[in-house]
Amino acid sequence: MSMETNAVIRRLAGDARPVRPLASPWTRTALWLALAAPYVALVIVLMSPRPDLGLKFSEPRFLIEEGAALATGIAAALAAFATVIPGFDRKFLLTPVFPAAIWLGSLGEGCVRQWLVQGSAGLSLQSDWMCLPAIVIVGLVPAIGMVAMLRRGAPMMPCVSIGLAGLAAAGLGDFGLRFFHPQDASLMVLVWQVGSVVLLSAAASCTGRYLLSWRTVIGRTLRGVPVR
Amino acid sequence: MLDDSRLRALMRMAQAGDARAYTELLTAVAPRLRQIILNQRRSLQAADIEDLVQDVLLSLHAVRSTYDPERPFMPWLLAITRNRIADRARRHARRGAHEVQVEQWPVTFSENSTNTDSDSYGDSEALRHAVERLPAGQRTAIELVKLRELSLKEAAAVTGTSIGALKVSVHRAMVTLRKSIRKS
Repeated sequence: MSMETNAVIRRLAGDARPVRPLASPWTRTALWLALAAPYVALVIVLMSPRPDLGLKFSEPRFLIEEGAALATGIAAALAAFATVIPGFDRKFLLTPVFPAAIWLGSLGEGCVRQWLVQGSAGLSLQSDWMCLPAIVIVGLVPAIGMVAMLRRGAPMMPCVSIGLAGLAAAGLGDFGLRFFHPQDASLMVLVWQVGSVVLLSAAASCTGRYLLSWRTVIGRTLRGVPVR
Repeated sequence: MLDDSRLRALMRMAQAGDARAYTELLTAVAPRLRQIILNQRRSLQAADIEDLVQDVLLSLHAVRSTYDPERPFMPWLLAITRNRIADRARRHARRGAHEVQVEQWPVTFSENSTNTDSDSYGDSEALRHAVERLPAGQRTAIELVKLRELSLKEAAAVTGTSIGALKVSVHRAMVTLRKSIRKS
């Protein structure tokens, strides 16, 4: 073994502070949700819940879409936490696919139904620029919390991890948005809300290499190593 | 060779702060890492393999909290190793994409004094020899900071010197290299 490698081993062994093993992705997802939920609830209260909220809770379509948006966010969070564990099971990457398919399927079915009932008028698209900033506001704190938690792991797939974190936060953001934003037309929701979620996830993914990198992780850890 | 259950036990003790177990673990895995890297990247030179082994050891240390003591140790370490090998290959490719191979540098100015031999220096073999001739401390500093591109903090942690001392070593090494290259 080279002298230098021996020296590295000695330095690292000198820094053998106790570390607490990271909790499982499931536990970390639950923790993240427990931290994010009060913030989302606070934003909903501050933005004033929509007046017809009670009525909406009796509509199966609204419940399915909200449930699917929330499930997509939670599944994406679970997948993101799994990706920072070396040797993680790749099946975790597929967990958001099922709820996302239900979400898109429900909205797609809504579009077809509106088209059958109202004809082309049922598929009219107006601008609704409020969705993007509103989803950002609702998802901001969950996103920051998620990145902070991911940075405690290993940067195995930085762009995927941060992209999934973006999907988790934006999914949660859209779930919260519909509590105060009275927009239920399937095509509008599909284009403006789901479109915003996709856009934010893609943008987040592009920042992955800057937020998670081996260089940062190693530098941060070795900062505490005593210098002779 | 230690089996996985022993490595797992050592890692568990290392996570609990046992320096002796950690030394035993790192010493046991280093030759395995060298072999794994050699098998995957046969074209690498011995020095590059050693660099990668050290990168993996540093990475293992940095993310040792991600190891679940209930799971086998080697698959966890192999995942980090493969990731670091790929990471290094990507960095190498990126660096290569930004380099332009030029047979002969064009004349930059009409004055002869600006087109001396030293300006067109490009003998990497001579540079390598010059680096090898450096005093041990300066050579390590140059290798870590300039060749392996570690940050000063990382390099200081590896060498066990202060950042200030490392800066001085790098500066002195650069001066020495400049002089020896001029001579040759």
